[in-house]
Amino acid sequence: MRAVVIGVHLRREDIEPVAEAIPLGELFLSGAAVADDQPLGDRDLVLRVAQMRASLLERATFIAIRYGFAVRSSEEAMAKCAPQIERWRRLLALHRDDVEMTLKVAVASTRPRPERQAFASGADYLRALHEATRAADVDPRFREAASRLGNCRWVHRDGRSLECVLLVARDGVERVRAAGEQLKRDFPEIPFLLSGPWPLEVFADDDHK
Amino acid sequence: MPDQSQDLSLLETLDHLLDRGVVIAGEAVISIGDVDLLYLGLNIVLANVDALIRTTERR
Repeated sequence: MRAVVIGVHLRREDIEPVAEAIPLGELFLSGAAVADDQPLGDRDLVLRVAQMRASLLERATFIAIRYGFAVRSSEEAMAKCAPQIERWRRLLALHRDDVEMTLKVAVASTRPRPERQAFASGADYLRALHEATRAADVDPRFREAASRLGNCRWVHRDGRSLECVLLVARDGVERVRAAGEQLKRDFPEIPFLLSGPWPLEVFADDDHK
Repeated sequence: MPDQSQDLSLLETLDHLLDRGVVIAGEAVISIGDVDLLYLGLNIVLANVDALIRTTERR
């Protein structure tokens, strides 16, 4: 048996009995037990893990681990995560009462996706693809209004949408939802989707500092 | 007929599960550019996601 890792938590009681608790130094990983011969791309498994992830967040904030990381023991988890533990512990202590919310916004302008055949090397094509994605932007008035909702990071996901990821106190979720409704009234021409709460995803990721 | 908001909620939930959070170096999810190879596999399994996206775009 192995476990698909869902997140990193401060306390064992934040995990059990929803998921398996895997000790990781002072912290714990939450995991979903999986048979060795079950593919991680199995539809039912993915849906089960998504449900467990949501249930865990109702209990306490945790750092989300991207789907696909599986371990067979606490020792294996420690070997792979040791360099991160202290930083994770600090993040969890700091954001114990915070969650993320995501405002996915349709971009106002896009750059055409590059043609793969126009590039001699794969590296050049990937670079152009990345630049095209980064060139997408939203209406500056909307960007300013959304940024005022709280501590936020703007993230380029693809060429057609941009995300404003907000770090919100748990008791501030309803306030942000109400602010989202106000944004819909103020900017009826701009399609966007407000979702959450989510665990620490972007705010736990060094790449988005 | 399923509620569209429920479908979008599931889509968003799966998007967060598969494309957000900390990536553990050297693990199963391999990214090239902004494409996860694992995600490509799941597109086949979750064929209704594509259908949902097409439906949404037509509206």
